[in-house]
Amino acid sequence: MGDRLDYIGQRIPRKDGPAKATGRAEYTADIRLPGMLVGRILRSPVPHARILNIDVSKAIGLEGVKAIVTAKDAPGIKHGFVETPRYPPDQYPLATDKVRFIGEEIAAGAATDPYTAQEALELIQVEYEPLPAVFDPEEAMRPGAPEIHPTHPKVREPYGNIGGKTETEWGDVEAGFSESHYVRQDRFESHLRTHGYLEPQVTLASFEPGGKLNVWTSSQGPFLKRAKLARTLGLSFSAVRVQKAYVGGAFGGKIDLFSHEFCAALLSMKTGRPVRIETSREEIFSAYRHGQPLIVEIKTGVKRDGTLVAQEVRVINNCGGYRGSGVVIIFLAWGFIMLPYRLPNLKYEGYAVYTNNPLRAPQRGHGAPQVRFAVESQLDIIAEELGIDPVEIRLRNAREPGEQLPNGDNVHNCGLKECLEKAAEHTSFRKRYGQKVSAPSPNTRVRRGIGMGVSSYFGGSLIYPNSSSVVVKMNDDGTVTMLTGALDIGQGAETILCQIVAEELKVPVEEIQVIAADTETTPVDIGVWISGNAYVSGNATREAATRVRRKLLEIAAEKMEAYTGDLALENKSIYVKGSPGKRLTYGELVAASIQRRHGDPIIGEGHWRTMRDEPYHPSLASTKGRWSENYAFDVQVAEVEVDTETGKARLVRAVTAHDCGFPINPLLVEGQIDGQVSMALGHAFLEEVIMEEGRTVTPNWLEYRMPTIHNVAVSEHIDVITEHYEKDRPYRTKEVGEGYVSAILAAIANAIYDAVGVRLYSTPFTPEKILKGLGKIR
Amino acid sequence: MKQLIELSVNGETYELAVEPQATLLEVLRNDLGLTGTKEACGTGECGSCTVLIDGRPVLSCLTLALDCTGQDIVTIEGLAEGERMSPVQQAFQDCGAIQCGFCTPGMVLSATALLEENSRPTEEEIRKALEGHLCRCTGYNKIIEAVNKAAGQMAARQK
Ligand code: FES
Ligand code: FES
Repeated sequence: MGDRLDYIGQRIPRKDGPAKATGRAEYTADIRLPGMLVGRILRSPVPHARILNIDVSKAIGLEGVKAIVTAKDAPGIKHGFVETPRYPPDQYPLATDKVRFIGEEIAAGAATDPYTAQEALELIQVEYEPLPAVFDPEEAMRPGAPEIHPTHPKVREPYGNIGGKTETEWGDVEAGFSESHYVRQDRFESHLRTHGYLEPQVTLASFEPGGKLNVWTSSQGPFLKRAKLARTLGLSFSAVRVQKAYVGGAFGGKIDLFSHEFCAALLSMKTGRPVRIETSREEIFSAYRHGQPLIVEIKTGVKRDGTLVAQEVRVINNCGGYRGSGVVIIFLAWGFIMLPYRLPNLKYEGYAVYTNNPLRAPQRGHGAPQVRFAVESQLDIIAEELGIDPVEIRLRNAREPGEQLPNGDNVHNCGLKECLEKAAEHTSFRKRYGQKVSAPSPNTRVRRGIGMGVSSYFGGSLIYPNSSSVVVKMNDDGTVTMLTGALDIGQGAETILCQIVAEELKVPVEEIQVIAADTETTPVDIGVWISGNAYVSGNATREAATRVRRKLLEIAAEKMEAYTGDLALENKSIYVKGSPGKRLTYGELVAASIQRRHGDPIIGEGHWRTMRDEPYHPSLASTKGRWSENYAFDVQVAEVEVDTETGKARLVRAVTAHDCGFPINPLLVEGQIDGQVSMALGHAFLEEVIMEEGRTVTPNWLEYRMPTIHNVAVSEHIDVITEHYEKDRPYRTKEVGEGYVSAILAAIANAIYDAVGVRLYSTPFTPEKILKGLGKIR
Repeated sequence: MKQLIELSVNGETYELAVEPQATLLEVLRNDLGLTGTKEACGTGECGSCTVLIDGRPVLSCLTLALDCTGQDIVTIEGLAEGERMSPVQQAFQDCGAIQCGFCTPGMVLSATALLEENSRPTEEEIRKALEGHLCRCTGYNKIIEAVNKAAGQMAARQK
């Protein structure tokens, strides 16, 4: 139809920017309530033990202490990131009989000030009977390893500590390997990293006498938190209200229920006073959920021309003391393997293995960086063996638009090939790859290399609460209010949803008020942790705004005695095309609607659910069932410099060619890409949570080195537009928040190889590994 | 034992009774309700608690409130003139240098201090001025762009 777009696709600065730039934005830790107490958590100092006794009597006696809670005070209901019949909840919010990792929550206290709260914890006496512990997943799998939990009943192999398994296969891999021209097997490993959100984990809970629990918590969506809090506390959903506060970053680390949230609530219920628990950075590093390193063993067979024939992949995940999202990542790892390239034969198995480490969380990309590092590194090795250039081998295998995936999903308007071509052209990849050039600096021991990676990411799936709804209401003066359950965690959710309303109604973004992320006053939302915000919440918003537009047009047609088709919207008014003088303002139309439509002040609602016809999410065990409606694709090129004397490598330039459908707000999309490039750079070179026997020895930002402003790569963006925004048509835009942290990691590894001929099989890419590869050290 | 002190914050003078071990960060946030100053680590590693003391960026989590009497403290709340954001704040907003916003107050204050001293900083000087600030969201690209933009605007204004 070719409507002119005034707001969609524009570089509109974020709506909450001024509040954040001036210090007015209120984060959870900034909220103060009268009589508020400080809560603190007592954590296990041992990795695996039976709890024989907990004595809190001395702590309770301390002046200023208002309550101490242990498992005895809790309803004894378990929870889990996944709660299905196959994977029932396996964790109590407060340890009951056993502790399974250092840092596990044992008790919590609330006092009038932090010092007293801390002192109280020190007075709690816990008697442990230590049990043998195991930290390495492959050791934990061996028969005879200490048992943390029994192996899942449905796992047939004689392994120990298996929390879950994903298994799937299609075609015939054995036949595929035997008809392949070249077959190779490699093993890739990744290391432990963490989210590094700046805002600590923090919760404020306030239990009102009438039985209402009000909660503010740094999260990725209030609805999941409400559900899990209500369930573990034995309250009804309507007794729990989770409200919005600004969130200082999350990256996957604030999704699920955390014990500090449960404890703040329980302490508030016990004392009748508001309780805030804010975690220290050391606690976050030592006891909270980090990302998930994977071991990826991959055997691949190809034709002489590089066409993929068969792949056999085995993934092992170290999921810590409880399942957490450990059984999700072994499902997702399968997905990230099969997405970008055609693969006629695949055999996949993934294991989630219990160990005595803190449990784990999704971390931006949720397995994709680890998996793509393996696949893309091996693809480059294969290309070299066959004498094919990295771009050609990828083009040969890249999925085409409209292709059906083996799980029944469709890649629809997949722009992967265009991304490949554009990224290669923009960086003169074909000309520069394999040149082993020296860096343009007098210091010739520095070599420069270029490398490529490919990735794909899903945009929304069916996991509670499965859908989004939005309400758009007109105000008397013609401005607009939007109610959405979506939470802005820095990615710009509120801004893009406003742009959609602005576009549908031709109302400036500044004149749209957003009420967000409050379980009581806003409709349900899928949550900002499954890469479905722009698509699922976005389409719900579009529907709600469309309804409002239709109502406005109908009443205008009636008042101006015109056909709706002859009317146009402009700057909070509707006029008759061709005679712009004939015009009614939105304010006038709202008044008319109230008068002529039984008091209707013009409200529209919209709902969206991805994969409408699917009853459930796909099977985590077998991968059967549909996974997502939309897949984003990206090709990233890394240019690195490697110092052959010191072994130090650095990312100089990152080019991201990506198909996210269409960017609703290019400014925000670029921000997402830059942030992901930076995170990948940290993954590649700087960051590592080092644990010894379950104890974190890098519990701060001096030892866990995140990129600083001295570690910035030039980041360039190429939009491959495969979708358009049109009025009255659902759009199929894709995700941008997680997918672009992956291909670039692989690209860096491939670029290091290009620079100095060192192939890296594990992250991080340290000077030591590079010097070893160069034969300079042993 | 609490001690009585006078603090000058954003041009206003406050009389306060503070514990000798209280940090400036605690006093700003808890006693004065100036929660724009953020705490991400409390141990001097991230820069999010930065305020300006006599025009220079200081980590308020490592500064005792007692030591700040007689000094001129500026927090993020003190930069805008009414509704109008300062050039640095505006540039952060326009360039997309803000995402979650938790690092923003500290970044903005350090950038402000830099530009007051040096209205035409090189990129290296910008990096130097902001090297103590962690940002996990933006990758810093747009932050550097924003400081450059603000510098240009401030220089143009001075002409
Ligand atoms: S809070 Fe002061 S440096 Fe991190
Ligand atoms: S904007 Fe989130 S840490 Fe900088």
